[in-house]
Amino acid sequence: MAVFERTTKNLIVKIDEFFDNIEIGLLIFKEGLKSYFSGDMESFLHHIQKVDSLESNADRLQRSIENEMITHSILPQHRSEVVRLIDELDEIIDSIKRSMNEINIELPTIPEKLKKDFLSLAETSANAGEELIPAARAYFRAPYTVREKLLKVYYFESEADKISMNTKKKIFQEMDELDLAHKAHLRYLIHHIENISDMAQKAADLLSAMAIKLMI
Amino acid sequence: MILFFLTSGLFLGWSLGANDASNVFGSAVGSKMVSFRKAAIIASIAVIIGAVMQGEGASHTLGKLGAVNAIGGSFTLALAAAITVYVMTKFALPVSTTQAIVGAIIGWNLFTGNTTDPGTLSKIVGTWISGPVIGAVFAVTLYIIIIRFKKRSHIHLIKFESFIRYGLIIVGAFGAFSLGANNIANVMGVFVPSFNLHPLNLGFLTLSSSQQLFLIGGLAIATGILTYSKKVMETIGGNIVELSSEAAMVVVLAQSLVLFIFSSTSLSAFFVRLGLPPIPMVPVSSSQVIIGCIIGIGLYKGVRNINFKLLGMIAIGWLATPVLSGFLAFFSLFFIKNIFNIDVGHKIMPGENTSNLIALAGDSSVSGIVRYLLLGILATGIFILIVYWLLENRKSRDLKKSEEKFWKNMK
Repeated sequence: MAVFERTTKNLIVKIDEFFDNIEIGLLIFKEGLKSYFSGDMESFLHHIQKVDSLESNADRLQRSIENEMITHSILPQHRSEVVRLIDELDEIIDSIKRSMNEINIELPTIPEKLKKDFLSLAETSANAGEELIPAARAYFRAPYTVREKLLKVYYFESEADKISMNTKKKIFQEMDELDLAHKAHLRYLIHHIENISDMAQKAADLLSAMAIKLMI
Repeated sequence: MILFFLTSGLFLGWSLGANDASNVFGSAVGSKMVSFRKAAIIASIAVIIGAVMQGEGASHTLGKLGAVNAIGGSFTLALAAAITVYVMTKFALPVSTTQAIVGAIIGWNLFTGNTTDPGTLSKIVGTWISGPVIGAVFAVTLYIIIIRFKKRSHIHLIKFESFIRYGLIIVGAFGAFSLGANNIANVMGVFVPSFNLHPLNLGFLTLSSSQQLFLIGGLAIATGILTYSKKVMETIGGNIVELSSEAAMVVVLAQSLVLFIFSSTSLSAFFVRLGLPPIPMVPVSSSQVIIGCIIGIGLYKGVRNINFKLLGMIAIGWLATPVLSGFLAFFSLFFIKNIFNIDVGHKIMPGENTSNLIALAGDSSVSGIVRYLLLGILATGIFILIVYWLLENRKSRDLKKSEEKFWKNMK
C-alpha cells in the first residue's frame, strides 16, 4: 500500500513537472524569437540551449510517466487519453526546439517592416500554447473548468491564423522588393511559428473530449 | 458416503463462486483497477469467513421453506439447482442460485407432500423484488455523495483513483464476505437439517455442525472463484454498462450492503430493539441486486437507452429459473427414490422436530476432515502471501532496472 501511495505521489509530481517544462518552453520560445528579431544572437543561442535541456527533460518525464501508468495500472480507464495528451504536449516542445534550431541554421532575414508582425505572431501562437497548460492541469483537479479554460486557446489560435494570413498577404502582395526565394523562406518561418498554436488547438480538442468523458 | 452426498452442494458452490464472484470484483478486474490474482485471493478468503461467521441467518429461512430431512433429498435438490444454473448459464440467461434452490425446495415439498409455507415463500419472493430496488436506492445515494465529494475537494484525479482502488478492494472484500454470508444458504442450506456433526473446537473458536458445513461450502465457492471466475470477471466490466471507477465501487458497495442486511442477524436484532420490524434473513441473488444498482445509477445519470431486450431476458431468467429447477428437482427425486432406492425425505408431521431426524448424527470423520482442511488453508494462505510478496517485489525491481538501462543507453 505504502509503495503504491509513493508511486501515486511521484507520478503527480512528474506530471506537474512535465507541464512546467512545456510552459517554460513556450515562454522561452517567445523570448528567444524576440531576441532573434532584435538581432541579439547571444541571447537567442542561450534560449536554444535552455529549450534543448527542457525538451530532453520532458522526454524523460514522458517516458517515465507512461511506464509508471502502465506498470502500476494507474487510471486504467483514462490512461490512453492521458498518455496521448502528454504526447501531444511533448510534440509542442519538440516543435519549439526544432523551429528554433532551424532558425539558428537558416538564419532567415526578417525585413524591418515585418518584424512587428512576426513578433505578434510568435506571441499569439505561444499564448495559445500557454493557455493550454492551466486547462491540462485542471483536467486532473477540476475537470468541470477545463472547457472554459480552453476557450482562450481557441481564441489565440484563430488570432494567430489571422496574423499569419495577413503577414503572408503582405509578403506576397505588397513587398515586391523581396525575391521569391526570400518570400518562400519567410512563409516557411511563419508556418513554423504558427504550428505551435495549431498543435495547441489539436491538444485542446483532445483535452475537451477527455474532460467530457470524465464528467459523464 | 457422506462426502459423496455433499458433492452436489460442492458443485453448486463451485458454480456460484465461478459466476457470482464477478458481481463483487467483476467491474474492478474488468476495468483493470485490481488484478485478478489479488481479487481472487481476497474474495476467496472473505467468502469463507462470511460463510462461517454469518451464514446461519439466511439458511434458517430456507429450512423453514422446506426442512429436507434426508441426505438423499439434499443431494438431489443441490444437484437439480446446480444443473439449472449450469444450463441457464450455457444459454447465456442471467441466473440466480437463490431462485434455483428455492425452486428445488418447492419441488421437494411437492414430492414429499409437505406444504410450502406461504409466509416464508412470500418473504423470499418479496426480497427478489425489494433487493434490486433497495440496491438501486443505495447505489444512487452513495453515488451522489461520492460525486459531490469529488467535485468539492478538487482532489487530484490520480489520487482519487488510488483511493477508489483501495475502496474497490475493501468494498470487494466486504462484498465477498456478504456473498458468503448470504449465499452459503443456497449451497449448504439444504444439507443443514440432514447433518449433525460434532462441534469442532479450534481453541479460539468452536465451529457448530452447520458452520462446518458452511466452511466446506465456502471452500467450494472459493475454488470456483480461483479456478473459473477469471473470464467472467474480465468480461463483466464492459458487458453490463460501461461504468466509471467510482460508479463501479458504489455498485459493489450497494450490493454488498443489501446482501449484508439480508443476512445479518445482529442487525435484525438491533432493528427489533429499536421497535422496528425484524429484517427477513433471506438468501438474495447478488446478480439481481447488482442489476438493480446499475439501472439505478443509469437512471440517475439520465441514460435513456436502457436495453429493454436485456431487461426482458433478465425477467425471463427470473421466472424460468425456479420453475425449471422445481420441475427438475421433482423428477430427479422420483428417479433417485425409485431407481436407486435412496431415502429422499418424508412428510413432516406436526410437532416433529426436524433437527432430530438426522441419520448421520454425531459423525466425527467429517469434523476431522474439516480440522485438516483448516490447517491446509492456513498453510496455503501463508504460502500464497509469501509468493505474492516476492512476485510484486520482483516486478518493481525489474521496472527500475529497465528504466535505468534505457536512460543509460540514451546517454
